[in-house]
Amino acid sequence: MLGIACCLLLMQSAARFGYARLLGKYAVAVNSIQAADEAVALAPGDPEVHRARGRVLSRLQMPGEARNSFEIASRLRYRDDFLWLELGRTREELGDTSAALAAFDQAVRYAPYYAHTYWQRGNLKLRMGQYNEAFVDLRAAAASRKSYVPSLIDLAWGLSRGDGKVAEQLIQISTDQDRYAFARFLAQKGKGKESVGQFRLLVRDRSDENRRELIRDLIAGKAFREAFELWRTDSSLKPPVILNGGFEEAIELESPDSTFGWFVFAKSEAKVVRDESEKLSGRASLLLGLNGNWKGPAQTISQTIAVEPDRRYRISFAVKTKDLVTGGPPAIAVKDRGADEGLGQSQAFPTPSSDWQRIQFEFSTRPGTQAIVLEFTRVANGCSPCPIFGELWLDDFVIEDVTTVNSQR
Amino acid sequence: MSLKRRNGPRAIAALILFSIAQVGLQVGLAEPTITTTATTVLPQVIGRLTTRNNQPIQVNGLSATTGASILSGATLETGADQSAIVKISGVLRRPLVTGTVGAVEIAPNSKVVLTFDEQGNLKALVMFGCVKVSAERNATGEVAIEQGSLAKTDPASGGDLELRYDPGSAPAVGPGACKGPGPIYAAGSSGGLFGLGVPATIAVVAAGTAAGLTPLFFPDDQVNPSGPSN
Repeated sequence: MLGIACCLLLMQSAARFGYARLLGKYAVAVNSIQAADEAVALAPGDPEVHRARGRVLSRLQMPGEARNSFEIASRLRYRDDFLWLELGRTREELGDTSAALAAFDQAVRYAPYYAHTYWQRGNLKLRMGQYNEAFVDLRAAAASRKSYVPSLIDLAWGLSRGDGKVAEQLIQISTDQDRYAFARFLAQKGKGKESVGQFRLLVRDRSDENRRELIRDLIAGKAFREAFELWRTDSSLKPPVILNGGFEEAIELESPDSTFGWFVFAKSEAKVVRDESEKLSGRASLLLGLNGNWKGPAQTISQTIAVEPDRRYRISFAVKTKDLVTGGPPAIAVKDRGADEGLGQSQAFPTPSSDWQRIQFEFSTRPGTQAIVLEFTRVANGCSPCPIFGELWLDDFVIEDVTTVNSQR
Repeated sequence: MSLKRRNGPRAIAALILFSIAQVGLQVGLAEPTITTTATTVLPQVIGRLTTRNNQPIQVNGLSATTGASILSGATLETGADQSAIVKISGVLRRPLVTGTVGAVEIAPNSKVVLTFDEQGNLKALVMFGCVKVSAERNATGEVAIEQGSLAKTDPASGGDLELRYDPGSAPAVGPGACKGPGPIYAAGSSGGLFGLGVPATIAVVAAGTAAGLTPLFFPDDQVNPSGPSN
């Protein structure tokens, strides 16, 4: 009889416990205080139901009540780091940062090899103004879990108010992987010089793939000069320069990288070919075949060129046309790559046919100009619709800095 | 006792001492190296992120959840079913007190750039979506879109501002612009499982539990006293 009674008692306890847990889960699923209270009443010694009650209250913005529940739960299961974190967050919500820090300390104590405890404590210390101590924790978290590295860099950058040196001191980079991540971050923020500086400090991760990725980031961050510096493999190549201006080397059609050198648009309406049968000098020229529509001349072939701000430049090239029939003849235009503003353009190309002739034009860069884009345009003069037929060849593109020449005039 | 015998214990003691020192040294070297080079950073106001149901949102393009620190100039973006609140507090210079500057609630499907400073200025630049800026006394809350500022709170009294902005349509500013009264980021109402409502769901859960436990309390011979048929 005693055995049966004991069994029944155990069964009842198990049922109450299980039912309390079920209610607790239900309470969290639907944010029901009523269900959470019922769960706690059924199993007051179960930390899980107190946690459930705490979560519900926290979600319903009742942090004072939630704090009590989390405190009970963490007393009942004091080795649970997640419980200490929840308690810490709730205490901070109530403005009790010292008590929150004490809870986070417990979380770190019971989960010293996990990143999330250090990360949470570091964030709290940051808000408490303990910046250096905060970064000790944040760095420890990022060292343990690499997915925290971008956030660590972002926080350091924000706290340093955009000062690369201070950010670097806060991050205390110790691996190539982290340094490369920092270099990319700086590039995206337009800090080209600092970014390239970090890249050059890499010991092992200076692969071509990483270099290309960083160049793309530098261009996206409008740090064109540094992007060019990193892009060039020949150090004698000094900006400004039009690369492959005579089309002596092959041009990559549908090039995936819009960095430096000629970029041929994949969906160009014109036929773009390197032609070895026609040239003014060297071995080849560029042939454009036009057969009706050419609404987007800028999306044909273009080149980004690194330049200096507040300078005057001259671009010269040779052109030959054959049966070019249109109301809006083509021309070459230059725009500021960063600001996307036109800086100048050449005269219209001769129509309908002409032998090779040289064209040149000058333009000035703005105070913020770091790079220009050389592209096609059309001198439409109100021609709409404006079909165009025929062929044209281009050769011998050259850019010169004529600032000194012009100022001496 | 000979000189050799007298020196024996001394040599052993010296060896033990040396061994203990070695152990201590090894333990010391095994400790994690924590670099504590102090970096001078100016004190600043920092926000604290709380997300609905601890779901991650995007902060400066990176995933962030409750407990993350939000620095001035951060871009926050929420997706569908994601919302957040940023509480901003710190040492204010006007007047020089430690306190709360205010809070910004961000509704689902919103993108907002938050800027704030030690002067108590708190600005939400809404790219799209809906925000509610609550500024404390002595702080100035502001809602804006890229075209310019739309409203500011009075520092003498503080207050709330709500802004809904969808590019291509006119921005709506004012109470209830986001979604009726109440906090816009808070957890949803308790609808119960499958929308049955809380009492009904509790009843279902209770009935289910009771039904599950019935065999424990009523063994087969009690449920079917006639026993198995042949």
